[in-house]
Amino acid sequence: MSSLAKQIDTPVEENKVLDMYKDLQRRKKVILKNRLVLWAIIAALVTWAWTGTNFSIAIIYTGTANMAAFIFTDLLPPDFSAFGRYLQPALQTVYMSLVGMVISVIFSIFFGFMAAKNTSFHPVIAFTSRAIIAFLRAIPALIWGITLVVAFGLGPLAGTLALGLSGIGILGKAFADVLEEIDQGQVDAVKATGASWFQTMGQGVWPQFKTGFVAWSLYKMDLNIREAAVLGLIGAGGIGYTLQGNINLFQYQQASVGILMIFALILIVEYTTAKIRERLL
Amino acid sequence: MSEVVLETKDLSMEFPDGTQALKNVTLTIKKGELVSIIGPSGAGKSTFMRSLNMLNKPTEGQIVFEGENVLKARGKQLRQIRRRIGMVFQHFNLIKRSPTYQNVLHGRLGYLPSLKGGLGRFSEEDTRQALEILRRVGLEDQAFKRADELSGGQQQRVGIAQAIAQTPSLLLADEPIASLDPSSSENVMTYLKNVCQEDGLTSIVNLHQVDFAKKFAHRIIGIKAGEVVFDGSPKELTEGITNYLYYSK
Ligand SMILES: Nc1ncnc2c1ncn2[C@@H]1O[C@H](COP(=O)(O)OP(=O)(O)O)[C@@H](O)[C@H]1O
Ligand SMILES: [Mg+2]
Repeated sequence: MSSLAKQIDTPVEENKVLDMYKDLQRRKKVILKNRLVLWAIIAALVTWAWTGTNFSIAIIYTGTANMAAFIFTDLLPPDFSAFGRYLQPALQTVYMSLVGMVISVIFSIFFGFMAAKNTSFHPVIAFTSRAIIAFLRAIPALIWGITLVVAFGLGPLAGTLALGLSGIGILGKAFADVLEEIDQGQVDAVKATGASWFQTMGQGVWPQFKTGFVAWSLYKMDLNIREAAVLGLIGAGGIGYTLQGNINLFQYQQASVGILMIFALILIVEYTTAKIRERLL
Repeated sequence: MSEVVLETKDLSMEFPDGTQALKNVTLTIKKGELVSIIGPSGAGKSTFMRSLNMLNKPTEGQIVFEGENVLKARGKQLRQIRRRIGMVFQHFNLIKRSPTYQNVLHGRLGYLPSLKGGLGRFSEEDTRQALEILRRVGLEDQAFKRADELSGGQQQRVGIAQAIAQTPSLLLADEPIASLDPSSSENVMTYLKNVCQEDGLTSIVNLHQVDFAKKFAHRIIGIKAGEVVFDGSPKELTEGITNYLYYSK
């Protein structure tokens, strides 16, 4: 006890502690300075963006007034006789979303496994797959839709392919990221038993990947319903296509039925996917 | 003169970042031996062990396992070597989300066609055997639980069961008790030793607890900075040598 006290009392030790404290304070000061710089940059960027978009409270006010007028005089009340005409396209939107999701899931499994460093066959393959995924992601579904309508004509085929392609950009990246996060120790243990590549994937990787896989795929289904509705506006099939027709003919009260149905579709799909997720995970 | 199971000659390993983890390790392991490798953290014990089944690839030297050149083995030949070498890990490395018995069944993967094994379609016989092995390590009540619901000591016994399911001739255990409390450690080491004796297995166990090594091993190998600095019986391992191993620069 006394010997310990002596050690702590020695001036050398004390100096060291003092030095460390000074060091700590200096470090804190540096961090504070960095933070201030960061906040200054953020404030400058926001100001710049604000002026750049001509954002003003007055415009918001008149805009809101115009919008309210449009909603109450043109859109309302909804003309529910149009309901029957929207039913078929609404179902088509669901099919498009579902098939689009399946397409993107299938290709994303392939590209995801090839893009993740720990499951890929070679770093060059991993890099190439990441690049392909990034390219597909960089182009929004709407642009794919416009391109594919030109190639395949108007209709749900173009829309479905657009959803599938842009989906690979999202799911491929998500899958690859989930795979890179898995515990390599568990994979090593399976490999060490003499398992083949496929066995290692099936028994070592898949159980760890499953949760992320299901969650992301269902999330993509949610996204697809929204995107499918928009894709219709450019003629790529589904409920948006019918909606576009009504709007073009100034049949706003019928169009409002379409809008309500899109709303309902989104809610139904989100509810269903949430239930499925609960069941599976 | 008993038969040689494993031989390494001038085994060296340099990681891509330049770390020299093994330096000219030359060892001969005979059938039925229980060898313990001791040495401080970072000495190269894991790297040595992971080299034996090519979880990492040594940069130089030779490994001969039951007459086969391990470093030359590829594809199917490598998998057939691996299935004869069971491995137990410090952090158990069980598939946490899979049930206990399925983790044991993973020991059979090397014997199954790729597709069948990958989809987890194990035969009735393999499944019965797996359950029997679980009984041997005292875990018959835990067979259908998810692996991560088990305690550390139980998980490590599943690890041993999985290795045994391979019907290996060599068992590697990389610090199997480093994450366990003293009483589980004792328990796991006892199971490990019994299983090896009953099945006539040769085994190499990395340990950093010298007292456990002295108690359980027939032979102790000391590694320091990637080099073998001691190789002898537990009796020959004096305090001077352990001090040199663990404390001197
Ligand atoms: N993947 C790796 N990359 C680079 N260096 C590594 C890697 N794995 C281990 N090492 C280094 O190799 C040396 C031996 O490590 P290891 O075999 O894990 O030692 P031990 O198991 O005896 O604690 C250490 O210096 C460690 O830092
Ligand atoms: Mg280690």
